[in-house]
Amino acid sequence: MKAKNILYILGSFLFFLGLALLLPLAWSIYYGEGDFMALGSSMAITTVCGGLLYLFFKPEGDITLNHKEGFLIVATVWFLAGVFGALPYFIHGVFPTFTDAFFESVSGFTTTGATVITNIESIPHGILFWRSLTQWLGGMGIIVLSIAIFPLLGVGGMQLYKAELPSPVKDKLTPRVTETARTLWIVYFVISTVEFIMLLFGGMDVFNALCHTFSTMATGGFSTSDAGIAHFRSAYIDGVITLFMLIAGINFTLHYALIMGNFKSFLKNSELRFYLVIALISVIIVTLNLRLNIFEDMGKCLRYASFQVVSILTTTGFTTDNFDKWPALSKIILLLLMFVGGSAGSTGGSIKCLRILLILKHSYMELYRLVHPHAVTAVKLGKKIVYPETMASIWGFFVLYLAVTVVASILMTLLGLDMMTAFSSVVATIGNVGPGFGAVNAASTYSEIPNLGKWILSFCMLAGRLEIYTVIILLIPEFWKK
Amino acid sequence: MRVIVIGAGEVGYNIADILSKEGSDVVVIDKDEERLKAVSENLDVQTITGSGSSPQILEEARLDQAEMIVAVTDSDETNMIACLLASVQSKGALKIARIRNPDLERNPTIFDKNHLNIDLCINPERESVNNVMNLIEYPGASEIIDFAGGRIKLAAFHVNSSCLVVGKKLHEIKEMCKEHDFLIASIIRKEEPIVPSGKATIQENDYIFVLTESENVSEILKFFGKDVTPVQRVFIIGGGHTALLLSEILEKKGIFVKIIEKRQDKCKILASKLDKSVILHGDGTSQDLLKEENIQDADYLIAVTDDEEANILSALLAKQLGAKKSISLVNKVDYANLVPNIGIDGVMNPRHATIGKILHFIRKGKVISATPLLDEKAEAVEFIALETSDITNKPLKNIKFPKGTIIGAIIRNDKVTIPGGDSVILPDDRVILVTLRSAIPKVEKILTVKLDYFG
Repeated sequence: MKAKNILYILGSFLFFLGLALLLPLAWSIYYGEGDFMALGSSMAITTVCGGLLYLFFKPEGDITLNHKEGFLIVATVWFLAGVFGALPYFIHGVFPTFTDAFFESVSGFTTTGATVITNIESIPHGILFWRSLTQWLGGMGIIVLSIAIFPLLGVGGMQLYKAELPSPVKDKLTPRVTETARTLWIVYFVISTVEFIMLLFGGMDVFNALCHTFSTMATGGFSTSDAGIAHFRSAYIDGVITLFMLIAGINFTLHYALIMGNFKSFLKNSELRFYLVIALISVIIVTLNLRLNIFEDMGKCLRYASFQVVSILTTTGFTTDNFDKWPALSKIILLLLMFVGGSAGSTGGSIKCLRILLILKHSYMELYRLVHPHAVTAVKLGKKIVYPETMASIWGFFVLYLAVTVVASILMTLLGLDMMTAFSSVVATIGNVGPGFGAVNAASTYSEIPNLGKWILSFCMLAGRLEIYTVIILLIPEFWKK
Repeated sequence: MRVIVIGAGEVGYNIADILSKEGSDVVVIDKDEERLKAVSENLDVQTITGSGSSPQILEEARLDQAEMIVAVTDSDETNMIACLLASVQSKGALKIARIRNPDLERNPTIFDKNHLNIDLCINPERESVNNVMNLIEYPGASEIIDFAGGRIKLAAFHVNSSCLVVGKKLHEIKEMCKEHDFLIASIIRKEEPIVPSGKATIQENDYIFVLTESENVSEILKFFGKDVTPVQRVFIIGGGHTALLLSEILEKKGIFVKIIEKRQDKCKILASKLDKSVILHGDGTSQDLLKEENIQDADYLIAVTDDEEANILSALLAKQLGAKKSISLVNKVDYANLVPNIGIDGVMNPRHATIGKILHFIRKGKVISATPLLDEKAEAVEFIALETSDITNKPLKNIKFPKGTIIGAIIRNDKVTIPGGDSVILPDDRVILVTLRSAIPKVEKILTVKLDYFG
């Protein structure tokens, strides 16, 4: 591994991250609430650190990266994004400890949406904007964005792209990775713009519409008020956000196909169908469950149920009602949905529909083989065979995902949390969902979690966002052997 | 430019690599998932798993937008179908196919505009056979590269201790051999290129490149102490396509050929197609057989079986048993560099020959051809001088060339000159230039020609 090249690339990412602080800086000037200094100095620190690394380690020729360097860079970039992204919160004194600031920042970039802020309304607008922006940047991926904007990485970009893109099947949309990254970001940007305009129509001001667009499209979940989306008391806004959460949970490659007029491949996609069926069935069950137990009005049941189901399934984590108070059936469905997540190649987190679908198909195939021992079978996705290596990698992911969940949950109970809080906090962070059950339910925050617990959960968020492998691989000794 | 490469073998991989680094959007199609994995992990190209002769797969690769199709799978039929589909879907696209079967080659009409419409058919075996024939025709040389349509040749060889020029400076050598125009274009000593200035000396075991007109090649080789007795007896190990092509040409030149092939059925095919050659059924690595057939009298042994390791061994064994020279067919680039060091006189590399041919065909700009020399440390470039470039209309000695760059020949109105310091390049002259790889960016600047090939 060439430390020089790695530092150079990290430098350029940091510099870029620092530049992104310009946007919240503009808002802080507009509102004049005293957060200018915090944002300004954060920007100065980040760009100077990045710029120095960049200039100092600038290589002469082209950079080529191998797999290992790709993993290391991506994991480090995300960790550093967490650290430097925490500076505005820390410098402004939003939190007493850096742990809290780091947690909030990581929660933003990983589009988790778990917050440790107890009184959001008291936070200046500039910092709130940064909080939402981190989600939007993290949603499609900071590295994918950098590749799209600065094609400085050439072939090396491919290694980084593969290590960051949340999908078990890393097909490229176009021959060039720069083109692919650009296309994805353009699609992301276009859909975001549409949502922004629709939210403006719903009576939101520009600031809130932007912040919520960022949160929705990234399937993040940060809101600008303590009450979340419920704050707006609007069925229209609930509807728009539900729709765009659902859209953000679909593979962006499919959106691209749709925009290019390729309806057939959009409608025929088996993962999309699976995703929509899960959403539909869950909405129906939860709606009926709510109707029988809580609300009288069927329309109201449907509104709350569909919003919450989509929000949890896509791993957004917006809330319009505290679902911890819902009946057990609804709760268990929501908890299980946290393990499903959005589609591969979407901004959603967790295990992802594609993997679940393939695992189910594979399991069925094994049963089928028991019935017909001589049958020649293969797991198919649409008309394509899923190769055993891909399948093995998916199972490996699945097991590692559960293993991390198990270990982290045990550690959380050791810190003195109750079972439900410990387990759901881990599930909600590794799946990049946000709110969980028990002490971390929709109505409360993660501020009561002990400091060590916050670090464990931050790790879970990063591991979840980078699809386990990219982070866990750094922990095995084999990786560091020469 | 969108390029579709069908077949991710050695040739497909290298073509995709070069083209994508030059800025083309490359899509690689192959049936073999494993091979594609290697491609997608190392190159910035798109990969599609499937058959290159399937219309659906080609549609997925957006064939309609492709400007070039390079079909280089192992199967002639797949390559032909892919090009046919391309002709139907993408009218303007350039089509290049690897066609191995010599029977197909004999019917060139099927590839013309009215039928399959393939712009360039490449037979890797024929390409490499041509290279070997160059060596056999000029026995002293280890490599012969054609320029200006074969009229100028670049001959490469090792300098032996018996050579008159050992220890002499280049300008002294020039004095010693006045009757023939030639130019020492590059000297490689211990795998490092040395700038061939007038003061440089030639030492034993140097690998030198000499540029000269084709009729002088033999004389020049003789001057450098090379044995140029015409080849009379050739052994060929392996009886595939290559052996057949080679023996046909050798027979025509009146050279006596013995072919050793392991498989009876292949021997029978050879026997039916060749009249004069002796076809032997047996193992090419068997000492007894080689001795029995008087290997010690052979001028050349050429090992062309499918097994590269066996080829290398046969070639070594033959040398030990007294064959004058041996050439081995080696496809693996890793081996190609090793072979000259262990005493084998030449390498036949069909894949490398194919890649070279495709690249020459693709580049139709001002650079006519560019050939990597010895492990790509140096390059020979043939180009047309531009009015706008810095090298025209002034004596060569006034031009500041980067270190290690030499103008090897100037061709004006079909007349070849090996230039001296006072020679002047005029616009539209064809110029052959030899340069070190490290100097290429500077050369590009001087020529104001973009040497895309170097990518």
